[in-house]
Amino acid sequence: MAETILKLDKVTKVYPNGTVANRDINMEFEKGEIHSIVGENGAGKSTLMKMIFGIEAPSSGTITYKGQETHFASSMDAIKAGIGMVHQHFMLIPSFSIVDNIILGDEPKNGIFIDRKEATRKTQEVSDKYNFELDVTAKVSTLSVAKRQKVEILKTLYREAELIILDEPTSVLTPQETEQLFVQLRSLQAQGHTILFISHKLEEVKKISDRISVIRNGVSKGTYRNDELTMEQLTNLIIGRDLENDLDEFKTNEDFHNEKALIVENLSMERNGKPALNNVSFAVKKGEILGIAGVEGNGQVDLVRCITGLEKIKYDGKIIINNTDTTGMNIKARRDLKMAYIPEDRMGDGTAGKLPISDNIISTYYTRDDVNSGMFMDGKAIDRISNDLIETFAVKTSSNKTAVGSLSGGNIQKVVVAREYNTKPTFMIAEQPTHGIDIGSAEFVHHKLIEMRNAGAGILLVSADLNEVIDLSDRVIVMFDGEIAGYFPDANDINESNLGMYMLGAKKQTAEEIGGALND
Amino acid sequence: MTDRSEKKLNLSITNPTVFEAVKMIIALLIAFVIMFGVLCLISDNPVHAFVTILTGPFAKRRYFGAVIESFIPYAFAGLAAGILFKSGAFNLGAEGIYIISGVAVAAVACTAVTTSHFLHPILCILAAAAVGGVLMIIPSFLKAKFGTNEMVVSLMLNSIYSGIAMHLIRKYLLTKTTSTIGSRDYLKTAKIGYIFEPLRISPCLVLLIVCTIILYLVMYKTRLGYQIRLAGANPKFAEYSGISAFKLSIATAAIAGVLAGTGSACQLLTQSSFYQPDKTAVGIGFSGMLLAMLGRNNPIGIVIASFLIKYLEQGANVLYFSDTSVPSEITAIIEGIVILLISSQYFLRGLREKKLLQEGLGKNAR
Repeated sequence: MAETILKLDKVTKVYPNGTVANRDINMEFEKGEIHSIVGENGAGKSTLMKMIFGIEAPSSGTITYKGQETHFASSMDAIKAGIGMVHQHFMLIPSFSIVDNIILGDEPKNGIFIDRKEATRKTQEVSDKYNFELDVTAKVSTLSVAKRQKVEILKTLYREAELIILDEPTSVLTPQETEQLFVQLRSLQAQGHTILFISHKLEEVKKISDRISVIRNGVSKGTYRNDELTMEQLTNLIIGRDLENDLDEFKTNEDFHNEKALIVENLSMERNGKPALNNVSFAVKKGEILGIAGVEGNGQVDLVRCITGLEKIKYDGKIIINNTDTTGMNIKARRDLKMAYIPEDRMGDGTAGKLPISDNIISTYYTRDDVNSGMFMDGKAIDRISNDLIETFAVKTSSNKTAVGSLSGGNIQKVVVAREYNTKPTFMIAEQPTHGIDIGSAEFVHHKLIEMRNAGAGILLVSADLNEVIDLSDRVIVMFDGEIAGYFPDANDINESNLGMYMLGAKKQTAEEIGGALND
Repeated sequence: MTDRSEKKLNLSITNPTVFEAVKMIIALLIAFVIMFGVLCLISDNPVHAFVTILTGPFAKRRYFGAVIESFIPYAFAGLAAGILFKSGAFNLGAEGIYIISGVAVAAVACTAVTTSHFLHPILCILAAAAVGGVLMIIPSFLKAKFGTNEMVVSLMLNSIYSGIAMHLIRKYLLTKTTSTIGSRDYLKTAKIGYIFEPLRISPCLVLLIVCTIILYLVMYKTRLGYQIRLAGANPKFAEYSGISAFKLSIATAAIAGVLAGTGSACQLLTQSSFYQPDKTAVGIGFSGMLLAMLGRNNPIGIVIASFLIKYLEQGANVLYFSDTSVPSEITAIIEGIVILLISSQYFLRGLREKKLLQEGLGKNAR
C-alpha cells in the first residue's frame, strides 16, 4: 500500500445561504497517483477542492495532509505546505510575462529589487525540467489557452507543489490539446507528483486516472480503481441512474417552410481596434437548433451581444429577427420581436440574486397584460404565474418569495429558462445554457429547448461544451477568431476530432461551403 | 393547482425577512445597553437619565408635539434618499436640494401671489417640489450621459447650491433688520397652521402620510417601482430585461427631488418665519440618508425610523432640563450603533449559519 498523502475525514461544508455542498466526505489520496474526482456539475467537487486548497474552511471534519491536520487560513498556507491548484478560470495577468506571473507573490529579491535574472533562470530551469517547451520571457497575452494552462501548472511546480489540483482542466481545451495535457500529467506523475484531476468528462477520466472517487449531491459514493469500473457503472454512480443520452428521440420534424427566425448577414465588428467579428453570415430556421461551437473567446460573446442589442459598439452588416431588420434597435425592441435570451452569466445578467423568484421570473415581460391590472402590477397573477412556472420547471424552493441568489445553480438556471420560455419566443438564444449546473437540471433544460424547437421556435445555441452542441443541434457552425471556420449541415455525422481542427484554426472551409450556414 | 402562497409562514431565522427583523431588534437592544453604559459614565443618576430619554417626550403634550413637528422634514429627506438608494444611485444631493428649494419657498412666501391662506402654502410647496425635482436630476443625467460619478457630482452640487442660495437671498430677499444673512419674514398667508394645535399636528403630517403611502405603492405595486428595484438589485439584469437605465435614473431622481423639496417647504413653513440658508434646513438632507439606511430603504420603515430617532432626541432634550451633564447628542450613539450593526454583514451571521447548518444537515440527501 502506497503512502497516503492526503486524507479527508468526515468533511462537511455548508454555505451561508444554507446550501450543503459537501456532507461527511471521507477520501484518501496516495502519493504519486492520478486520482480523479468526478461528479455532476454542482455535485460539490469544486467546494471540496477549495477546502483542500485553503480557500474555504470546512464547517466540520478534518483534512490531513502528510500526516498533519491542516488548518489553512488561506491558499498561501496550502501553497507553502506543497499543494498547488490550477483553477478552471486562469489566474494570470495577461500583460505580464510568464516569469512575472510565476514569481508573483514569491519574488526572488536582490536587496529591495526583484532579481529578474535569477527569476528567469529558475523559471526556465523548472520549465525545462518538465519539458514544458515555454519561452518564459514571452507575454502571457500572446499565448494560446493551452499554453496558459501550462503556465498555471508551471506556477505550482515553481512553488514546489507535490500535490497538484486541476479543476476541470480540459473544459477549455480542444481534443488535441487534451491529449498533450495528459502526456504532461503522466510525466509529472513519473516524477513523483500526486495529481487530483477534477472533471465531469468521463472518457477523459477513464483515460487518465489510476483511481476515481465519485461525488453525488455532495456525498461521497466511494473510491474505485479505474480498472474495476466500467463506463456504465461509473455513470450510474455519478447520476444514480442510467443516462438518457439520445436527445434526437425527442425531436419531431414538422415543416416550417424554411422560414428564418434569424438572419445574420456580413456581420463585422471591431473591439479595441481589433476585429472581433469578421463577415459572419448565417441563419437560424424556425424549428431548428443551430449550434455554434468554438473555443471560448473566438467571437461568440460579441456575436450574441450584437444579436441581442446589448452591444454598445456599432457593427456593420444586418441582423434580421423574425423578418424585421433590427438596425438601431435596443434590446427591448428586439425582445418585442419575440426574441428570448438565456445569458451565459446567469447571476450577472440573468437574475437579481437579492430579489425573490416572483420578481425574477417576470422581468422580461413585466409590462405584459397578464401581470398587470391598470396602473398597478397584479400581485396575485404574478404569484400564480410564478408558482405555475416553479411547478412546470421543477424549481426546488420553499416558496416563490425565496431570493433567487439562495437557490442552487441548476435551480437559478431553471428560473431563467422558465422566464424566457414564458415570453413565448419564436427566436431564442441559448448561451451556455447548462454551464455549471447538475445533470438533472441540464437534461431538463435540454428537453425544454427541444420542446420549443419542436413547436417551431428557432434556437441559436452557443456552447463551449462540444457534446452539448453535437447532441442538441440540427446544424452546427464553428467559430474561430471572429469568423465562421466551418459549417456542418448535419450534426449527426460530425466527427469530434475533425471539429476540433476547425476550433483550433488548423482547418478552414471555403467560402462556398460556409455559405451553406446562411442559405441551406 | 394548489395555492402555495397560503403555505405556512416560515418564522425561522433562516427566513431573510425574519432575520432582518431580529437583527434590527437586537441591534436596538445593544445600542440601548451601550447608551446606558455611557450614561453611567457621565451622569450622576444614570437610571433616571435613561428612563427620561425613553419616556421624556410623553411628560408633556408639547414635548410630544415637538417630536411630531420636527420629524416630518427628516422623514421626507429619508424618503428621498431611500428611493435613490433603492434604485442603486449613490446620489447624496438631498442636502443641497433642501437648501436651494428653501430659496424657492422663501421667494414665494415673501411675495403676495395670493391672499388665500389655503393656496399660498400650497404654491410654496409646489415651487419647492418643482425646483427640487429638476435640480436633483443633474447628477443622474451627467452620469448617464458622460459617465461622471454621481456621488462626487452631488456632493459638489451641495456646496454650489448653498452658495447660490446665499447669493440669491442676499441679492433679492435680504432682511433689513438683522445682521445675519436671512430673508424677509414670510407673509402671514404663507404660514402653515395647525390642524390640532396641542400636538402640533399640521397638514404637513397628512402630506407626509399621503406621500409615504403613494411612494410605498409606487415602489412595490407599480411597474416603475419594479424597474427601480430591479435596477437597484442588479443594473446589468435590468438592462438585459430591456429596462432603460437612463429614463429610470431620471425618473427616480425627479421623484427624490420632489420629496426633498416638499420636505424643505414643510420645514420652512412650520418651523421658521424667515429663511436663513446656512441655518434653517442645514443637515436634514444628510440625516435623511442615515434614516434611509435605518429604515432599510422601505418608505414605511424610513418614516418609523425618523420618528424613533426624533423621539429619542426629544427625550434627550427633556433630560437636559433636569440633568445638564448629559448632552442631547447622546442619541447619536443609538443611531450610529444601530446603523453599524444592521449594515454589518457579519452581525449575527454565525447564528444564522449555525441554524442553516442544522437545517441543511437535517434535510435528506436529494
